[in-house]
Amino acid sequence: MTAAVPGRPAPRAAEADRPLLKVDGLKVHFEIKEGIIFERYVGSVRAVDGISFELRRGETFGLVGESGCGKSTTGRAIVRIYRPTAGRIEFDGIDIANLEGAALRHMRRRVQMIFQDPYASLDPRMTAGSIIAEPLDIHDIGSKADRQDRIRELLPLVGLDAAYGVRYPHEFSGGQRQRIGVARALALDPDLIVADEPISALDVSIQAQILNLLQRLQGRLGLTYLFIAHDLAVIRHISDRIAVMYLGRLVEIASSRDLNTRPLHPYSVALLSAVPIPDPSIERRRQRIILRGDVPSPAAPPSGCRFHTRCWLRERLGNPERCSTEEPDLLELETGHAVACHFAADVAGSVEQALVTGQRVPVAATPAGADESGEVLAPADATVEPVAVVEPGAPVVPETTAPAE
Amino acid sequence: MALLDVQDLVVRFRTHDGTIHAVNGVSFELEAGETLGLVGESGCGKSVTNLAIMRLLPKPAGRIEGGRVLFDGLDVLAMSESEVRDLRGKEIAMIFQDPMTSLNPVLTIEEQIVETIRAHRRMSMADARKQTIQLLEMVGIPGPEDRLKSFPHQFSGGMRQRVMIAMALALEPKLLVADEPTTALDVTIQAQVLDLLGRLTTEGGTALIIITHDLGVVAGMTQRINVMYAGFIVETAPTDELFARPSHPYTVGLLHSIPKVTEREDEELIPIEGRPPDMREAPVGCPFAARCAWRLEQCWTENPVLRPLDAGARLVTTGPKATHRIACHNPPTADEAHEGRPLRAGFRAAPAPAGRIDELAMAVEAGT
Repeated sequence: MTAAVPGRPAPRAAEADRPLLKVDGLKVHFEIKEGIIFERYVGSVRAVDGISFELRRGETFGLVGESGCGKSTTGRAIVRIYRPTAGRIEFDGIDIANLEGAALRHMRRRVQMIFQDPYASLDPRMTAGSIIAEPLDIHDIGSKADRQDRIRELLPLVGLDAAYGVRYPHEFSGGQRQRIGVARALALDPDLIVADEPISALDVSIQAQILNLLQRLQGRLGLTYLFIAHDLAVIRHISDRIAVMYLGRLVEIASSRDLNTRPLHPYSVALLSAVPIPDPSIERRRQRIILRGDVPSPAAPPSGCRFHTRCWLRERLGNPERCSTEEPDLLELETGHAVACHFAADVAGSVEQALVTGQRVPVAATPAGADESGEVLAPADATVEPVAVVEPGAPVVPETTAPAE
Repeated sequence: MALLDVQDLVVRFRTHDGTIHAVNGVSFELEAGETLGLVGESGCGKSVTNLAIMRLLPKPAGRIEGGRVLFDGLDVLAMSESEVRDLRGKEIAMIFQDPMTSLNPVLTIEEQIVETIRAHRRMSMADARKQTIQLLEMVGIPGPEDRLKSFPHQFSGGMRQRVMIAMALALEPKLLVADEPTTALDVTIQAQVLDLLGRLTTEGGTALIIITHDLGVVAGMTQRINVMYAGFIVETAPTDELFARPSHPYTVGLLHSIPKVTEREDEELIPIEGRPPDMREAPVGCPFAARCAWRLEQCWTENPVLRPLDAGARLVTTGPKATHRIACHNPPTADEAHEGRPLRAGFRAAPAPAGRIDELAMAVEAGT
């Protein structure tokens, strides 16, 4: 594939080692105001409240969490739809958190976004071709003929007939529209693509088409993805590394494999256990950890660890005070595996961790902390057999000691 | 006699755009206390089937153009409006995807549940109120007495769905139909609601129909599954059997297109190419033919009927021993189902006849 956009020079060795994106202490707060004429500031929704992570070149980094956890806000701050309240967003060595004007436009050529709703994100009055070429127009790249060439090149790349450029969005199905959205994101030959729930509006049989397309394009074009979704099964399938987000904070970052086989944050464990598995034999064997209640409001997050109000582990440990008073830092406990929990060591090797990851558990062992209200599916049983750790030779998790802030 | 007996149900919608062939001859039965999953993608007719059974099709567009629905031996389609109203709520209850659209926003929770109870049962206000509190307690709403005076918007999505479940179970119906009950909810809340739904229907001996697009949800919740495509049931089997031996190309395709949490790391998704058929066209041949890698020439012209997978098997339509049936001229073998593609040497999907769109060939050509 040859791009109409001139190819970038190959990165120098030092650049290749540098992460493509480095987010450091990112905060995005939205002010809540009251009053119609005299607006008063009454508080703020802390949608993203101090998160740090890195994206390596060519990887897919998954960001997973429930609605309202701040994952989409994070994505939008990175493409600078929102201006961060605080923190740095270093893209290829340059802090873009406060860029403006021409510099911001220039940066956006290299960072593109794919949106969730393929119906809302395409202008119904524009043809597929003009939608795809719009980024080239905005950035004033190439002649008219060049742009037509680029359209004819991009359509087949995303699995659409090159002749479809003259059609309007309503003539396409949902899956085809999302392909147009992907083609538009590729038009400027970006380095990073932020995909915000790119398949959740699509039918099940179509989702795999788009996932496979994204993976194939990554291999061909050397793209880096920030893939944002609520569906852990999808995230796990497509991502090399995953960050789990809860109420504006990252609670765990791990490789896809580690998160699946040894989740170390109680919330990650619960999230994994809640994902329905399309296999009745596993569904029957495994036990869900049913979290109590709902996610608290990000306008008034709980003190200390934000998950402590719903945490099954805290309950089991007799509600230690530390959880509600001291916010745990995201610490790297194993190579490439960071967790923000004071008691991550208690998750490692727990029955819950084993149950969730589908490993065999001694029959007598059932999750502790089950109460009579049936919040945990298993019958309450005080004797918890420690389960042998997942893989032989896996590093032992050290006792976590988070420095006080 | 089955609790619910649906035979050859045909539903069409007359619209400005033409006739929508929503349900094209669906038959199934359900025993008391049984849990059935209706699985399929949007537009496959799963929700319309259910609305037709409840006589809730939007009028005048939606019409039942054929078939029979018996509930407890009574012909639902022949009932008067008032008889049907009596049936709904008391005998059959429903839960919808978005609880906000099914709760009245200007009435308190107490008013709505008490009203439901008193509409069908002779009961004093005080007794109905007491029962309401019990119901809210049962579905896990903390401090039910204090929440009685709350309005729906004061509850979170998960809590609203609990209120819906409380309301649906208020009259101890024989059948509960849950249409995408957890699709609008977050995954941890979904786990709460599914757990509750499963527990309450099992304990109360209520039959449950779960309508969903999520194979994961039905895997853990149901005893039997009907897979629907383009207004037809294309495969039906007990849940374990269906997952152990998926045999219709569409079911096989669905299972290969969803990532599994337990999958091997290098496992590749095999998408179903193309898109669902335009329901405005009267179905000709197998509805899945355009997307099917196993199709034969006859698939384009002859619509296969639902018949036992194992030829000669005795037909059982309900219960854990229900016969595994598929509607397919050329079902995948077990190995093929496992791999997700045809393995027979030299086999090629029959090309589309002139005038039919061949989604499969298009996808292959485009190299997707």
